[in-house]
Amino acid sequence: MSTPSENSGFSRRRFVERLARGSVVAGAAAVARGALQAAETNPFAYDVGPLAKTDPAWVNWHEVKRWSVGGRAPRRLAFGPGDVLHVAAESQVLRFNREGAALPPLATTGAVTCVAVAGDGTVYASLRDHLEVFAPGGGRSAAWESPGPRTWISSLALGHGGLWAADSGARVILRYDLGGKLLGRIGAREPGRNVPGLVVPSPFLDVKVHPDGLLRVNNPGRHRFEAYTADGECEGTWGAPTAAIKGFCGCCNPIALAVLPDGRMVTCEKGLPRVKVYDAAGELAGVVAGTESFPANMKAGGAPGRGGLDAAVDSAGRVHVLDRVTATVHVFAPGKAGA
Amino acid sequence: MNPGPTTPAFSRRQFLRDGLRLSAVAGAAGLAGAMAGRTQAQTTVWQIDPAKCVRCGNCATKCVLEQSAVKCVHAFDICGYCQLCTGYFEPEPNELTTAAENQQCPTAAIKRTFVEDPYYEYEIDENLCIGCAKCVEGCTRFGNGSLYLQIRHDRCLNCNECAIARTCPGDAFRRVPVTHPYLLKTDTH
Ligand code: SF4
Ligand code: SF4
Ligand code: SF4
Repeated sequence: MSTPSENSGFSRRRFVERLARGSVVAGAAAVARGALQAAETNPFAYDVGPLAKTDPAWVNWHEVKRWSVGGRAPRRLAFGPGDVLHVAAESQVLRFNREGAALPPLATTGAVTCVAVAGDGTVYASLRDHLEVFAPGGGRSAAWESPGPRTWISSLALGHGGLWAADSGARVILRYDLGGKLLGRIGAREPGRNVPGLVVPSPFLDVKVHPDGLLRVNNPGRHRFEAYTADGECEGTWGAPTAAIKGFCGCCNPIALAVLPDGRMVTCEKGLPRVKVYDAAGELAGVVAGTESFPANMKAGGAPGRGGLDAAVDSAGRVHVLDRVTATVHVFAPGKAGA
Repeated sequence: MNPGPTTPAFSRRQFLRDGLRLSAVAGAAGLAGAMAGRTQAQTTVWQIDPAKCVRCGNCATKCVLEQSAVKCVHAFDICGYCQLCTGYFEPEPNELTTAAENQQCPTAAIKRTFVEDPYYEYEIDENLCIGCAKCVEGCTRFGNGSLYLQIRHDRCLNCNECAIARTCPGDAFRRVPVTHPYLLKTDTH
């Protein structure tokens, strides 16, 4: 076998000669010429630079506070009574008061993926395949059965007298009563009922209960969010695939939803980590935070286990954004910075 | 709402995915066998840790071979079979078709095939792939990271000092046992 240095010079020279004779595929030829000339820069860079810049005219929220959730790997947020913020992180539900001070956590039996909190303080925490319930006092009171082998629960929401669980693995929204009985599923493709089917390439399916009584569900592979009745009728869709600020970028966005007190929707995206607000007609109403607010997240990219954001809204209408990469909660209030 | 709390039937896509996963692993194992037979004296070979690769482009330009021994491989069981694959399409494609101007691979090494609405399958033609990692970056930034680089041992010379490893900014190259020559991604999430 030749040494690398011997091979290196000879091979490249011969390669270039062959390129000049057109004996290597044309695409590779063009690439290689550029590559050999550009020693220091990456001639194959996947350039999202221009797309990552947020037009300041759209940014009509400002950051008022941020804090670390303590170095753990967090996934989702939810508010409970008294604006206590619950954070699903590793095998715990971390809890923080309005000032961001840590309260005693709840320990789950495995990695917790998402959480929801009832008005009486009961905490529903989901592991990948089943839910665990904590009484308002903090003790674990129940563990529900797994609904199936493909289940990957990625979001919970309380409403309609029960609990909704977004199952990214089975690509459906599960409906439970509060005793843990599985009542049914919505969101599966049903062309006869105008239900397009949820397209969920990665475990970021989200569900929220809107003040209008309908569910809001993201459909990331179709680059939009959708409204469903409790019976599974699809009542509307909003969003379009585009790297432009008005739509949703990449292969699968938005990845998370939250609802403002006035009913407008907050969306989170990965890849280009950004948080936006859409009005009732699905028109972009403003940007809460652009990629500039999450530089480490931007660098990490959006593959599962790497990046991602989540958001929750407190009783004052402030948007709390969880940066999964830095394990930081950013708090945003309406209005431009310094206004 | 669907009436019963039963698990939905596996879709054709799921079936396809599982089948492809098996064939991908079988292919890698077959290659490992062929390589092991040629390199009995060597107990380790070079491989790329996909978790450390930062998609710098050096894999296309620094290998001692005419065309790099590094290729993009595809973890079908991680792939979302996305209609808008950010490994396949330019960041802002004009439309989601296979027209050359919409593709970002510099050598058109990725084949896009319709499976069922709205899913598409993506396959790498290793004869065309130069290991530039452009698709890997697109998939890692926006998608599931199912596209990633591996040294293909049916091509690699297993140099004492890998010329790419010397310059790899991610320190992603390492020696692995010749009996397990690939660092395959398997976990879906
Ligand atoms: S040289 Fe290293 S960081 Fe660059 S593309 Fe190859 S493995 Fe990835
Ligand atoms: S973009 Fe680069 S790494 Fe990906 S298939 Fe094409 S040549 Fe290979
Ligand atoms: S060991 Fe040699 S042939 Fe193999 S990838 Fe590195 S430089 Fe290329």
